[in-house]
Amino acid sequence: MNARLEAVIAASQAAWAAEQGSGKVRINVCLDTSSIARGAEATIAALKRAIAEKKLNAEVGITGSWGFCWMEPTATVRNASGTQTILYANLTADRVDDFLQKVVVEGTTVPALALGVIEGTSTPDIGLLSDHPFMQGQVRRVMANIGTIDPENIDHYIAKDGYAGFGRALDMTSEVIVKEMLDSGLGGRAGGGFPAGRKWDFLRNATTHPRYLVCNADEGDPGAWVNRVLMEGDPHIIIEGMLIAALAAEADEGYIYVRYEYPLCVERMQKAVDQAYAKGLLGKDILGTGKDFELIVFRGAGSYVCGEETGLINSVDGYRGMPRIKPPFPAQAGLWNKPTNVNNVESYANAPMIMRNGAAWWGGVSPAKEKGTKMFTFSGSVNYASCVEVPFGPTIRECLERYAGGMREGKTFKGFQPGGPLSGVVAGGLDLTLTLDPYREKGMFLGGGGIVFFDESNCIVDMCKYFLGFCEDESCGRCTTCHGGTQRAVEVIRRIQMGGGRDADIESFEQLVKTLVWSNCFHGQFAMTTIKTALKEFRAEWDEHIIDKRCRAGVCHGLIAYTVRSQNDAAMPEAQAICPTSAISGEPGSYAIDDRLCVRCNACKEIAPDAIEVRHRFALEVSAAAAAAG
Amino acid sequence: MAADANGQDARPDPSIAELRALVAEFQPGRGHVMPALHKVQDTYGYISRDAIEVIARQLNTTPALVYGTVSFYDDYRTHPAPATEIAWCSGPACRVLGGDRIREAIQQTLELPLGGQTRDHRVGLHLGQCNGTCSEAPQVWVNGQVEGNLTVSSAIRLARALKGDAE
Repeated sequence: MNARLEAVIAASQAAWAAEQGSGKVRINVCLDTSSIARGAEATIAALKRAIAEKKLNAEVGITGSWGFCWMEPTATVRNASGTQTILYANLTADRVDDFLQKVVVEGTTVPALALGVIEGTSTPDIGLLSDHPFMQGQVRRVMANIGTIDPENIDHYIAKDGYAGFGRALDMTSEVIVKEMLDSGLGGRAGGGFPAGRKWDFLRNATTHPRYLVCNADEGDPGAWVNRVLMEGDPHIIIEGMLIAALAAEADEGYIYVRYEYPLCVERMQKAVDQAYAKGLLGKDILGTGKDFELIVFRGAGSYVCGEETGLINSVDGYRGMPRIKPPFPAQAGLWNKPTNVNNVESYANAPMIMRNGAAWWGGVSPAKEKGTKMFTFSGSVNYASCVEVPFGPTIRECLERYAGGMREGKTFKGFQPGGPLSGVVAGGLDLTLTLDPYREKGMFLGGGGIVFFDESNCIVDMCKYFLGFCEDESCGRCTTCHGGTQRAVEVIRRIQMGGGRDADIESFEQLVKTLVWSNCFHGQFAMTTIKTALKEFRAEWDEHIIDKRCRAGVCHGLIAYTVRSQNDAAMPEAQAICPTSAISGEPGSYAIDDRLCVRCNACKEIAPDAIEVRHRFALEVSAAAAAAG
Repeated sequence: MAADANGQDARPDPSIAELRALVAEFQPGRGHVMPALHKVQDTYGYISRDAIEVIARQLNTTPALVYGTVSFYDDYRTHPAPATEIAWCSGPACRVLGGDRIREAIQQTLELPLGGQTRDHRVGLHLGQCNGTCSEAPQVWVNGQVEGNLTVSSAIRLARALKGDAE
């Protein structure tokens, strides 16, 4: 291995060892966007204050997420002798004093908050983390460091075999690196599954310089945050992956394009890049090899289509992020019309371990056709919002029960979305596996990793309006099929929701499905997937809306009416007061809801569930007409 | 004056000299349009007309192209932000847990459209994109701080309190 890299690794290992042997209790709090939303910053401040005030033999650090996002803030605690590390959950600031009393002053544990033992032996009260139900079936490879290292400290990453894969790649020719990547079978992790090695080979075979690498960290699919967990938890794994790709493709400069909504990712990636420069791992004459690679962290500004590789390229170029017409493909003319390769965050992040452990090891993890592991996030009408890494292949049922904690109380499972607003909706489908084919067969796709579960209280027509509205908002405006088509689809859905559905609407949708596929980029090509699949999977619900003027979920504005069922309910005065449009008039005995003012926000029913009734409006009108007719 | 468009606080727009100094580090042809815009917005809270012209000159391009970029992205703003800014999370986890009803109720309470400001320009509401803090769904961010696990009624109370604070 490169002698200078060996020296860098030795220095980092020494720094890591010194920290491990500090003789202090080490408390590492997960500090990422999910934990900050649940008070992690207050926890860290409380820990530091209490440790300083009481002069405790403890120190506080930060780490990334173990994926228990619904139980943040989590923290790992390594005892003073360094023999045991335990993961704790729900360590809010108000619990800090009692917690420190136990784990530092008394040197014991807090079983009530413990998730499991990470290192060392289990105790009668606390089992091994690897035995925790949430960890079953998980294989943490890309996430191996997340939750165990400080993402803002390059020494931690290097001490955990970081940059060793790059070191191995330095001893290989670009052809050998590409071959290893191809042998591994690593497919693009944003949903396409296109072999990463082939993409690198396209760039390797380019005829000009400069050549560019782009890391697509514009994780725009709402409900997906796997790339965020990775960037916030282990930024160097992405840099190392890009360095390996740079060797393979003989690239000169790289860009990490991070979406605007992830400011902490921007900060962590920038810190990591600066540290890598300081260690001589980036820049000119890397480690004395004569190779140069510059890496720039680039911040987006809020645009979904910049997740499309040529939209992203235009965005870096400084233009509107409108996807380009292909060909030419980025490998021929990308950034500044120079050869460019774009990969997803998770795709790059797999490269270091492939270099370190070989393609056969990497591909051997699951029997599925799709090789390696994949990160997924789960959210929706479920108990846990969580992030996991699994080999391809578990069923949706396993994921729902094990990783999402089942449906919330009172919610009945209806279906799920397999990966972003372009991916489609599945009715039921609990036995489908997390692999690419089942969705392709249904005309959908498994996207970047965000699985969203929905329940019977969600109306499928309303969800179609939501996803098509998103596609309309985010259309770049180039193709009439897309910007006009999504707009038309939303108009038709709105009319159906207001009670104006027509038989011909289904044909209109089918026409839109047929014409949007002519759009230039994925955004337009797949914008109608939700409606296309919803018409197949939930046809009866559409017919109810269009023909019967009935919304079974009680959501669509024009098909429902809020009425007062029980005049003397004790909650009615409060329900009247909460109404944001003052639609509820009268007093006990004469309460009435003015349908013209009511916006169906449901606030009154939240407060007076027994007194307020949501009725099918069409049925009301029929009965009113019948009464008028005598 | 920044105040002219919205009747907001009387801070003047940044001067041309200030803007020139701020973006002096950026160069043409290096992908610096968006970083320059970010720097202006991070410094002043918004991108003024002057800033667009200064950036265009600095990067050897045209104000039309720079404005084309500004107007394409949701997070560049051309007017100062209101004192209290509510970002409503439009993500799917929030949506399936009643997020759209919450939006409707907040809009009615504050009497503004999504993307608008109250008549006194003290409170604004805009569409926020999912950042994966879905354990808090349904949620809004008030000046960047999560207000999570909302019900429609708690969202109305929150909006009324913010409106009251501003009055």
